Amino acid sequence: MKNKLLLPNNYKRYGIGLLIPFAVIGVLSIYNEFELGFLQTGKNIPYFNMFDFTDNNFTNEIALSGVMIGLLMIAFSKEKTEDEFIHQIRLESWQWAVIINYALLFLANWLIYGSEFLQVMIYNMLTILIIFIIRFNWLLYKYKKQLSE
Amino acid sequence: MTNTIKIERAIHNLTQAELAEKIGVSRQTINAMESNKYVPSAVLAMKIARLFNKPVEAVFQLQEND
Repeated sequence: MKNKLLLPNNYKRYGIGLLIPFAVIGVLSIYNEFELGFLQTGKNIPYFNMFDFTDNNFTNEIALSGVMIGLLMIAFSKEKTEDEFIHQIRLESWQWAVIINYALLFLANWLIYGSEFLQVMIYNMLTILIIFIIRFNWLLYKYKKQLSE
Repeated sequence: MTNTIKIERAIHNLTQAELAEKIGVSRQTINAMESNKYVPSAVLAMKIARLFNKPVEAVFQLQEND
């Protein structure tokens, strides 16, 4: 079965390579207010004034972009033999990830308030992808393990 | 749906890996079909039957609840 939406297998490694450094920068920027000096913007750039920035350093924007692209590359790269069975596991894992994601969000909506909920929303931007990657690889691992039994 | 892939494989003296390679799927797929965890598409079912020189229904059989 052809799936045109998938990247070649080696993109998984590039994705991991991209994810790790940007995730480190991202976590540091959330918890330690870490900022990279060269990503500072002046206040007088006309284009950026349009959005009325209160924060004029791009560290967190760059970090989130890198993490998003990295996770997308991992999630959307082919397995070595991408056949119809793998394809089915892939679709089931997406379904699972969306359901779990919204179940968690539903709970967070009722249990977490104020600025802490903002933290939840930061992670929630990425949870569908993360849950998918974990679920998909867990199933692949399970079926591979059955082979050696 | 049940199938006789495992029996046919024994008759033709093929391992799971060899069969997988011949029809271009992963070993997990063969294993999942043999243990009835995965129902193949019509294309894959016909490919397997053709490899064993048998009609599809000789290799794949519908069950009561299908």
